[in-house]
Amino acid sequence: MTRDEQVSIAIPTGALLNGALSVLSAAGLARLTAEELGRQLLIERDSVRVILVRPADVPAYVDHGAADLGIVGKDILWETPGAHYELVDLRFGGCRLVLAVPDASALDGPETWPPMMRVATKYPRTASAWFETRGQAVEMVQLHGSVELAPQVGLVDGIVDLTATGRTLQENRLRIAEVLGSSTARLIANQASLKTRSAAVQSVVSKLREASGNAG
Amino acid sequence: MRRWGYRHVITPLVENMDVLDLGLGTEQRRRLFKFTDVRGDIVALVGERTVPVARLVAGKLRTAPLPLRLCYAGPVLSTDEERFQHRRETYQVGAELIGASGPVADAEVITLAARCMEATGIRRYQIDVGHAEFFHGIMDAVRLPDEVKAAVRAALAARDFVALEALLEGTDLKSAEHELLLRFPALRGGPEILEAAGGLVRNRRSELALAELAQLRELLVAHGIGDVVNLDLGAIRDFDYYTGIIFEGYGPDFGRPVAQGGRYDSLLSRFGRPAPATGFMVQLDLVSEMLTRAPRPPALPRIDAAIAWTEGGLGTALRLGSTLRLFGMRAVVDTEARNDAAARSWWQAVGAANLIQCRSESSVAWSAPGQRARTLPPEQVAARLAGSGQ
Repeated sequence: MTRDEQVSIAIPTGALLNGALSVLSAAGLARLTAEELGRQLLIERDSVRVILVRPADVPAYVDHGAADLGIVGKDILWETPGAHYELVDLRFGGCRLVLAVPDASALDGPETWPPMMRVATKYPRTASAWFETRGQAVEMVQLHGSVELAPQVGLVDGIVDLTATGRTLQENRLRIAEVLGSSTARLIANQASLKTRSAAVQSVVSKLREASGNAG
Repeated sequence: MRRWGYRHVITPLVENMDVLDLGLGTEQRRRLFKFTDVRGDIVALVGERTVPVARLVAGKLRTAPLPLRLCYAGPVLSTDEERFQHRRETYQVGAELIGASGPVADAEVITLAARCMEATGIRRYQIDVGHAEFFHGIMDAVRLPDEVKAAVRAALAARDFVALEALLEGTDLKSAEHELLLRFPALRGGPEILEAAGGLVRNRRSELALAELAQLRELLVAHGIGDVVNLDLGAIRDFDYYTGIIFEGYGPDFGRPVAQGGRYDSLLSRFGRPAPATGFMVQLDLVSEMLTRAPRPPALPRIDAAIAWTEGGLGTALRLGSTLRLFGMRAVVDTEARNDAAARSWWQAVGAANLIQCRSESSVAWSAPGQRARTLPPEQVAARLAGSGQ
């Protein structure tokens, strides 16, 4: 198999990993377990080369052409727009980006927001843009983990974070005030790979499209 | 580019903002480095060179008869760090053919772009050719409310086909054009793609675009670059700017286009001299990055002769250097007198193919790798070096 025919796919560690492995397997491209990929990070099969990277790094791998394709949550794409093509909604890993406030907070819809709101998030770009279109002034506090803690200790009025089941929010006595958007796993492609090695790349794309339950 | 009759023009690095305002879109203006001059006027560092060339054609060159063939080379800057691979500055070489419309002019510019890519040393490359009017025709023909059309354009500009599909599925007015939009990234290939697309479009604008592409393809074959050209009907570019044929050049295993160009017939009228125009630019630092990452990076240009001298030999050294250069060779004459050992280590450092040591008017010592030094009259050394075809 030459480099021209082999297609490289970057897949993310974390919540989307198992979904990504099952869609690769359902598409007949590669049967891999999380354990073996966790050990090797890069595995070659007949027609594909699978690369395991951190979720936020998938767009960088694809945009620079180190991977032809990538599987990544839409939430990551909101934060890091780039020159890639977003081709298929893979329909797994569903979650919502929400504004959550403490249960006891008076904050709810936009009419209840203070003139300047303080919000903690791992998604500053997406959150800023969303508040800006609603004319709301916000001070963003960018945190890298345990965002749920910030409103409880009075650091911020609310958080913008991702939630699948809402359980973590409940456990931290937070409730959803607004939904900013819904996210699922997406298949993205490098712009040059689509043009310079289109036959091989398009064939993998259509296999993944079918395996994810998209028609045609 | 000189061989194609393109004249080199130099446009300023700093331009008045009101000039750039005429030619650039909002996004492009946002990315410019701006500051004020002593009069308080806002000036900017150029972010691309087509608009400055257009201004030149409508200004200083307004009496020059069209068509004009102009080329340029120079740095361009952007505040957007993502734009040039995390650098603020890149180096672009480009050409513009102004005052000529139609596929013959487009074919000339595309071929010139191909030859420029070749000249940089890229061994394998391809050029994808599309047409802005194909897209405009489809957008005219799709029956959608204006706000949905705007969203469709935005989704396409962001290359977000998931959003595009959701938008188009939400409407029940299906047409062949819907199908074409969804298949946009796959609408590429050889001449057969024109026929396939021709069977699907039902609007005059797109049909004319397909006919023009067919004609262009034949011209490119005649230019001798048919085998590197693909047709790409789904090319996504700035459709507010480009009015006709568009193209992109790709190298092997490199994630982004290194050359871009197309027809922009509406730009010149904004500067008061309406004229059709087409052009391209090659991003030289992307090319150089691609070449250095290639399995066999190209060697630096070889220096043919290192000419050393001692007391009494300087005049001979200078004359010999001039002679070799007249024969098109690269020759370096030392700036100080050196003895034999010092001259040999200097030869190494210069990295030249031959060492010539001048010690007197009448004879010089000529050394080449793997050969014993020979003592000859300077004219004979010059004749042998020139004759060896180096």
